Amino acid sequence: MRGLFGKRKDPFDGDGLVLFKTTAGALKAEKVLRAAGLDAKLVAPPLSRRRGCDLAVEVNLLETLAVERVLLDSAVRHEGLEVLSSESARLLELVQVVELGDFVMVKAGNMKMTCERRTGVIANVSGGGCPDIPYLFLELVGRVVTECARPRELGSTLCALLLDRAWEESARIVEDREDASRCRNGADPGSSPDLGQSQP
Amino acid sequence: MLSAAVETAGHLGIEAPQALLAGDIGDGKGSRAIYRHLVEKSDEIEASILALHYLQPVMGLMKKVVESLGRKRSKPLLVADAGSMYAAKAAGIATAFDVFTPDAAEMAFLADLRATHPAYIASHLLTSGNEDVASMVESAYGHGNAARVLVVKGSRDLVVENGDILHVVEAPDLPAMEAIGGTGDTITGMIAAFLSAGMEPHQAAVFASRANRTAGEYAHARPDTRIEEIIGQIRPVLREHLRRWSETGTVPKEEGEGDD
Repeated sequence: MRGLFGKRKDPFDGDGLVLFKTTAGALKAEKVLRAAGLDAKLVAPPLSRRRGCDLAVEVNLLETLAVERVLLDSAVRHEGLEVLSSESARLLELVQVVELGDFVMVKAGNMKMTCERRTGVIANVSGGGCPDIPYLFLELVGRVVTECARPRELGSTLCALLLDRAWEESARIVEDREDASRCRNGADPGSSPDLGQSQP
Repeated sequence: MLSAAVETAGHLGIEAPQALLAGDIGDGKGSRAIYRHLVEKSDEIEASILALHYLQPVMGLMKKVVESLGRKRSKPLLVADAGSMYAAKAAGIATAFDVFTPDAAEMAFLADLRATHPAYIASHLLTSGNEDVASMVESAYGHGNAARVLVVKGSRDLVVENGDILHVVEAPDLPAMEAIGGTGDTITGMIAAFLSAGMEPHQAAVFASRANRTAGEYAHARPDTRIEEIIGQIRPVLREHLRRWSETGTVPKEEGEGDD
């Protein structure tokens, strides 16, 4: 489909609804998102979803992370990003932990992060389908989970957001084990860990 | 995916796959370029098999690709995994595809009528045992959200055609494989190569599942194993096992054993 001046126009995949308290916020959001190269269009939110004004911005749901990053960087406050087509849809919160011998795998939806228990090193990243996942693999695998950048800081898609959930739980597990190890050795759990100590 | 397809094609002695690649670390620009290229050049594409993989799920563009390919006199067999599979399901065109290769969470996504991405699937669908995977398969086919053949990857791989579970592949059982990035991609690549050799989709799916697991066994797969170690075992596995696996089904072309 060609736009007005012959420029190729891709179909708009939206379904993400960003809500605002003020019209000014919605207008600014649309402007900064489009300037950042993200799909965004002003829409009237359904009555039941309004948060203070009758203007919202529809975005590509898949680009949730990128949208939130741009709005944060541009100091544009919003009242939430929801699924336009389903008022009840919620971002998956469930995580599952699988022990694999010396490793622990955390699953969040279709994403998995596996860490070596003793060192906290991210041993593998698997699952997912969005193109930032192979990039996140290269950036994260081999790094200590409590010392690396978060997936949501590096990625742009919903897959990256789910990997971030897995990262969060992985980091918590590694920190809890480090604290437990320091307690067993009589150290202050708040002090820096000695990752060279062997775990029982 | 591509490496697995190359290794498999090499063993089978068939032409190596061609690839259309674009850089994309999540902003979607590279993916969109690929979608547009497939639409604009569909008349020139002479592939018999088209495997779509780590594309940003852009529903509108995926629809255009499938529509363009559907107008060809000889439509290629369509395989989709990863973001391409998400886009096909979300766009409501799953039935235009010949093979999908979902893992358990992605199977829940296919079964969830409303979800447009696995991040929004209903959480109760993720706590399933094997019997619930079967009901998810039934739901996906019932709503037209499955390809003709599914390979549902898990502790047991299910090969499904038109809603019927035809095969269950469960050996060797290697839990570590789920942790290794790329072990689903290799199945997709091997399926594409087997299809290119003339196999039926369900047969290609069974062989790919068996070969993937056995390659993991040969590589002594651990949770920190890299996928290239497993890919490196594909040819030895096929040399040793493929003819035996073929004995009760279609025997693929094996003209020469390929280059080592």
